[in-house]
Amino acid sequence: MIQKVLSAIGGVGVYGVIAVLLFFGVFLGVLVWALRLRAPYLDRMSRAPLDDDDDDDPSSPDPSNPRAHSPDHE
Amino acid sequence: MNVETFRYDNGIVRAFAIATIFWGIVGMAAGLLAATQLFYPDANFQTAFITFGRIRPLHTNAVIFAFVGNGMFAGIYYSLQRLCKARMFNDTLSWLNFWGWNGIILAAAVSLPLGLTTSKEYAELEWPIDIAIAVVWVIFTVNLFGTILRRRERHMYVAIWFYIATALTVALLHIVNSLAVPAGPFKSYSIYAGVQDALVQWWYGHNAVAFFLTTPYLGLMYYFLPKAANRPIFSYRLSIIHFWALIFIYIWAGPHHLLFTALPDWAQSLGMVFSVMLVAPSWGGMLNGLLTLRGAWDKVRQDPVLKFMVVAVTAYGMATLEGPVMAIKTVNALSHYTDWTIGHVHTGALGWNGFLTFSMLYWLMPRLYQTKLWSTKLANYHFWIGLLGMMFYVVPMYVSGVTQGLMWKQFNAEGFLQYPTFLETVLQLLPMYQLRAVGGSLYLIGTILCAINMYKTAKSGRFLAEEEVKAPKLDSIAHHDSHPWGHRWLEAKPITFSALAFVAVGVGGLVEVVPLYLIKENVPTITSVKPYSPLEVLGRDIYIREGCVGCHSQMIRPFRSETERYGEYSKAGEFIYDHPFLWGSKRTGPDLHRVGGKYPDAWHYNHMEDATSTSPGSIMPAYPWLLTRKLDTNVLPARIRALRKVGVPYPEGFENGPAQEELARQQRLVVANLEIGLVEAEPDREIIALIAYLQRLGTDLKLEQYLLSTQP
Repeated sequence: MIQKVLSAIGGVGVYGVIAVLLFFGVFLGVLVWALRLRAPYLDRMSRAPLDDDDDDDPSSPDPSNPRAHSPDHE
Repeated sequence: MNVETFRYDNGIVRAFAIATIFWGIVGMAAGLLAATQLFYPDANFQTAFITFGRIRPLHTNAVIFAFVGNGMFAGIYYSLQRLCKARMFNDTLSWLNFWGWNGIILAAAVSLPLGLTTSKEYAELEWPIDIAIAVVWVIFTVNLFGTILRRRERHMYVAIWFYIATALTVALLHIVNSLAVPAGPFKSYSIYAGVQDALVQWWYGHNAVAFFLTTPYLGLMYYFLPKAANRPIFSYRLSIIHFWALIFIYIWAGPHHLLFTALPDWAQSLGMVFSVMLVAPSWGGMLNGLLTLRGAWDKVRQDPVLKFMVVAVTAYGMATLEGPVMAIKTVNALSHYTDWTIGHVHTGALGWNGFLTFSMLYWLMPRLYQTKLWSTKLANYHFWIGLLGMMFYVVPMYVSGVTQGLMWKQFNAEGFLQYPTFLETVLQLLPMYQLRAVGGSLYLIGTILCAINMYKTAKSGRFLAEEEVKAPKLDSIAHHDSHPWGHRWLEAKPITFSALAFVAVGVGGLVEVVPLYLIKENVPTITSVKPYSPLEVLGRDIYIREGCVGCHSQMIRPFRSETERYGEYSKAGEFIYDHPFLWGSKRTGPDLHRVGGKYPDAWHYNHMEDATSTSPGSIMPAYPWLLTRKLDTNVLPARIRALRKVGVPYPEGFENGPAQEELARQQRLVVANLEIGLVEAEPDREIIALIAYLQRLGTDLKLEQYLLSTQP
């Protein structure tokens, strides 16, 4: 059936099947990769840009925010 | 813990940031000049160097490689050091990267106005500069990986993955697309011909957008957006899916630039399917960016940095939805070759790249100079004037594109074309072209305000060239990567990660490009198609030099509206000697693939001298220099030899005598034809060669009367 649908888009033949299978393979693989990661790691990595030593925001009128709140510093 | 003290190199970041602003102004000014010439052709001041065909590639190269390129390096050199907790690998490499890259841009700024071009879009620079680009890119890549390998953070943050994908893929694209045989110090012929050249070029062109304008800037978004909002990225999981799906799919979508052309159908369909799929990862990334601002939207109202970022990410979302829509064949039938494409790319260039660059600069400069931004108010003015400029640019281009697309296709009740004269459709667009120039001016004024603000900020602070920091050595940090081949494990293995990323981008390229070489049936041969004569070769080189391809396509699509207007649709087999292909991507003027024999030689002569003499109201510039400049025939042997090397079957020894004789004979024939049209001309002028080439176009197939009458 997939073959039928794909060949209907014109001359694409077996390439279409290969392409879609490849894409779903890669997508599912990446999905499994992403879902297997644990929350503490995700939390730490998502804060990586905030984890520098030069983040005293000079242009902000509000001096109360820098990343001293990063969990790595707690 | 073994804590080390080291210093971040801010000097290199500042250098790239200054170059970004400088080249931004130059590139946008070139764009404004080109835009002005489209409704006021005399804005070229009758000078070859700044005529549209030459200034347009200068504009695109300056904006892409100089403005965005320097912006990308500024952002990468700043964020990479901090994400790796390490100084850049090697200071000498950093500065070679800076001076090398900007030297290349300078070479482009000189060579493009001189007409030294390959004519392949966004790859116009000639072979010596191409080699320099490859060398500088390797220097950057070594510096990037050297820094990553010396990092003090075990895991690489998502921004670094995008930088890795950028470095590897741009190298691959640039090298494969630039393969050419030199025919002199500033001239070369692509090793690919016709359909193959088109496919490789748009595999490159599309992925230059993907891996030069998108992936590095996504890396910058993943770093600077959380920084400016002071919030972690919305979903790290989503960023993993975003990254892998994006780099895997992007590479397949190139053929959507060639829909309805002579490219085999299966390649077109594949390009279309993958283009539509591309919406998913692109929007995943956009949402990840916007959702990072959850709970921080109050800050967006006050902080110009965040304002610029929100518009940049939104423009990314709009452009990446619009692109796949334009890649659907039915939409593309209307949008292709029109200003719609120009509107689309400027949503990306002005909105996504421009605004993200400005937001990064406004965030970065005060920090480099340990001070506050000189004027938040001025930055806010810049934001609004830039946004207004963008609107005044993009909206008229949509109106113009749809108007012209519909006019081209309109038939009257009797079944004839409603607007048979191409010029009629162009004259309708002039008000839109004027509005577009207003939009461009506003955007440029905004950029100048940014430059003033940056200068004043720098003046008011003290530059921190070397930033001292402390971090524990990598060996001394405990780690628990228990799952080999899990993504966490992979994020600590830069080489394995890079190899996998390379495979992900390589697969699509292989599946698309290789079959075209292996399967002969993809390009059916046509026996009447013969190589260009020597005079036509030189005429074609003048066509390339003047950038005619910027406004004229040579690819008639199989629609009745096109075959009625231009003649028989273009076949793959007609282009087997076209090194490079000259299909074009925009019709500001009519298609020229079957212009051969359509008009007498004298018409072309008068048309090139002053287009309005034959086509009143035409916006084509005048080319008076072609009428007076002598044709350089000394280059002919080298060019014939180079063309033979890339596969054009000129007999051995043809260049030593027979070619010159044939050239002189054809010159005399053109001159004789001109006399019939009451035009007196010297046979050794450039215009003669150009006319010979134009009269040859598309005639192989239709066995044109003109050619028969000029055979000796």
